[in-house]
Amino acid sequence: MQLHIGIPRAMLYHEFGSLWSAFFQNMGIPVSVSGETNKQILDRGTLLAIDESCLPLKVYLGHVDSLLSKCSHIFVPRVAQYHRNFHFCAKFSGLPDVVKNTFRLSPEQLIAPNIEDKSPLSQLQAIYTTCQAMGLPAVPGYLAYRRALKSWRADTPCGSMPSNKIAIIGHSYLLKDTFFCQEMMNTLTSRGVTVVTPDHVVSKVLYDEAKVFQPDIYWQLSAKIVGAARFFCRQPDIAGIVMVSSFGCGPDSLVNEYVEHHVLKQSTKPHIIINIDEHTGSAGLITRIEAFWDLVERRLKS
Amino acid sequence: MKVTYPHMGYLNIPVFNMLNNLGMEVIEAPPISQKTLELGSLYSPEGVCLPYKINMGNFLESIDQGADTLITICGAGKCRMGFFNAVQKISLAAKKKLQFFTINTENLFRDLYRFLRQTTGSGRLAVIKNIAMAVQTLKALDAINDAKNCYGARASAPEQIINICDSGVQQFAGCRNFSDISYTRDMVIDLMKNVTNSMESRPAKVALLGEFYVLMEPYVNHMIENLLIKQGIEVKKFVSTGEWVYSKAFLQSLGLYNEEKDCLNQARPYLNYHVGGDGLKSVGSALWSAQNGYDGIIHVYPFGCMPEVVAQYALKNIASDYNLPLLSLSLDEHSSDVGIITRVEAFADCIKRKQHCKEKTLRSLR
Repeated sequence: MQLHIGIPRAMLYHEFGSLWSAFFQNMGIPVSVSGETNKQILDRGTLLAIDESCLPLKVYLGHVDSLLSKCSHIFVPRVAQYHRNFHFCAKFSGLPDVVKNTFRLSPEQLIAPNIEDKSPLSQLQAIYTTCQAMGLPAVPGYLAYRRALKSWRADTPCGSMPSNKIAIIGHSYLLKDTFFCQEMMNTLTSRGVTVVTPDHVVSKVLYDEAKVFQPDIYWQLSAKIVGAARFFCRQPDIAGIVMVSSFGCGPDSLVNEYVEHHVLKQSTKPHIIINIDEHTGSAGLITRIEAFWDLVERRLKS
Repeated sequence: MKVTYPHMGYLNIPVFNMLNNLGMEVIEAPPISQKTLELGSLYSPEGVCLPYKINMGNFLESIDQGADTLITICGAGKCRMGFFNAVQKISLAAKKKLQFFTINTENLFRDLYRFLRQTTGSGRLAVIKNIAMAVQTLKALDAINDAKNCYGARASAPEQIINICDSGVQQFAGCRNFSDISYTRDMVIDLMKNVTNSMESRPAKVALLGEFYVLMEPYVNHMIENLLIKQGIEVKKFVSTGEWVYSKAFLQSLGLYNEEKDCLNQARPYLNYHVGGDGLKSVGSALWSAQNGYDGIIHVYPFGCMPEVVAQYALKNIASDYNLPLLSLSLDEHSSDVGIITRVEAFADCIKRKQHCKEKTLRSLR
C-alpha cells in the first residue's frame, strides 16, 4: 500500500493541526485529515471506547476509525508537555497506546512521535521517529518541519479583539469541534452577539494571566482556560462568560470549581457552566444559552 | 494546634504514633462510614473522583471535632490528586480558619522532615527516628496483611484469620520502639500460622491491582480481600503502603530506585509511557501476573480515574491475549455492598471452575 498519512481531527489537532499537515505536505506525502465530527463518528467512538473515557477521547477513536480504511499510517503524537511547568492530562500521555490497544494496530501502522517537552532535542527526536516510521531520511524531514513551523507561527492570531460581547471558554477540542459547539455559537450570533474564544487571544497573554495560579494548576490546557477566564473577566466589552466542559473530564471536574471561586465569582460578569456529553440533543443546550443571553441582555439594559 | 489527616487503610496507626510521639495534639477523623461519604459528596464538585469525596468527608468530620490543622499530600504526576487541596481549601475555608500543610510525595522525606521540625520543634534525631519507625510499622502491617491473604485462603476457618489480623493491627497503636514493632509483627503472624491446618493446598490465585487509594482503604473497596479469602482464593495485592513509603522516602531520595523505570519495563508492549497515577503500574503488574501463572485479575479504581481508564484499554487486551478472567470494579459513592459482593462471588466461581477444568485435563493427560 502506498504511503498515506491520516490525522484524526480531534484533541490536539485543534491546537497543532495545521503544523502537522503542513509538515507532511512539505515532505510530499499525501495526508488526509478526518472529516468534521458527526453523529456517526461519535457513535462509533462511543462504541469503541471504554465507557468511562471522556467525550473527546471517544470522539478521537471515532475519527481514527474513519481513517483506517483509506490510510496506511495514522499519526498519533504523544505530547506530554509543551509549555514548561505544565503537563497534559493522562489521556494525552497514553494516547498512542490507547489507539494501539483499541484497534490492535501493529507498531508500523502508527506514527507516534514522543514529544516529552518543548526542547529542540525532543523536537528533533520526534522528527526522527516520524521519518523513520515512514522510511524517509531525517534531514529533509527537519527542513520540512522548520518550514511548517514558520507558516504555523504566522497563522496564530494577532492581539486585536473584536468589540462586544460573549466569551466562550473551554478546551479547544470542544470549542473548535463543529459538532459540539457550532449550534451554541450560531444561537448567539443569530442574536447579533459576537462570540469570542480563547483562540482570539495570543497564547502568551493567557499563560501570563495564568501565572497567578501557578503553584496550584499544573495542566497546560486548564491553565489556558483559567488564564482566559481571568483575561475575559477584566475586559469591559465582554458581557458574559460561558464555560464549556465535557462529562468525564478529570481536570475540568476540579478546575471548574476553582475558576468559579477564584475568578468568576470575583468579577461582576454573568457566567454559566455547561457540561456536554455524547447524548446529543441540542434543545436543552440552546434553551440554556438563550436564557443566559436574556439575562445578559437585561443586565446590559439596566 | 490540633492536627488531622485523611484516612487510608491502616496508615492512621503509624501516623498517629509518629505525631503523638513528637508531642503533637492529634484529632483523628472517625473511621470512614456512610456518613463520611455523604458529607464528603455534599461538599465536593459533582464529577470528581471518590478519593476526593472521602478525604473531604474525613476533614469535615474532624473539623467538627475541633481540628484546625490539616495535612494533605499532593504530587501524583498528572493525576487529579495534586489539585485536591487547592479546591478543598475553597469550601473548607468557608467553615473555619484552617491551616494547611501539603506534603509532596515526590519529596516525601524532605517535606515530612521539614513539617515535623517546624511544627513540633523536636530534635533532628527524634524526627528521623520517628519517621523511620512509622515506615517500619507500615511495613510490619503490610507483612501481616500479606500473611492474612496467604494463610486465610488455606485455612478451614478464614474468619478466624481475619479476626486475628484485625485485632493484631490494633496492637501497633502502642508501639514505642523498633523491637516492639518486630515483636508484635512476629507474634501476630505466628498466631495465624498456628490456626492454619495445611500449607499443602494450592488455592486459586488472583492479582488485585488498580488505584492506590481504593486498594488500600477497605471501606471503599468493600473489603474485597476478605471476600476473596472467604471464597478460598489467594490474593496478591501489588501495591502496599509500607513499600511505597519506604521507596519514596528513602530509596528515591537517595537516587537508588526509580519505580517508573521498573514499571515501564514491565508494561511493555501494552503501555509504553508513564500516564500519571498508578496506570502504568496496574498494566505492569497485570502483565507480570499473566505471565506468572495467576488465575485472574481484579482491577479496582474510582469512577472516572484518568490514569486507570487509560490502563483499562491495555488491561482488556492483556486479559484476552493471555486468556485470563478480568473483573473491573469502578467505584463511586453509589456502589453498594451487595452489587460488589455478587460480582466478586461470581468471578470467584468462574475462576474456581476454570482451575477445576485445568486440573481435570492435566489428570487425564497423565
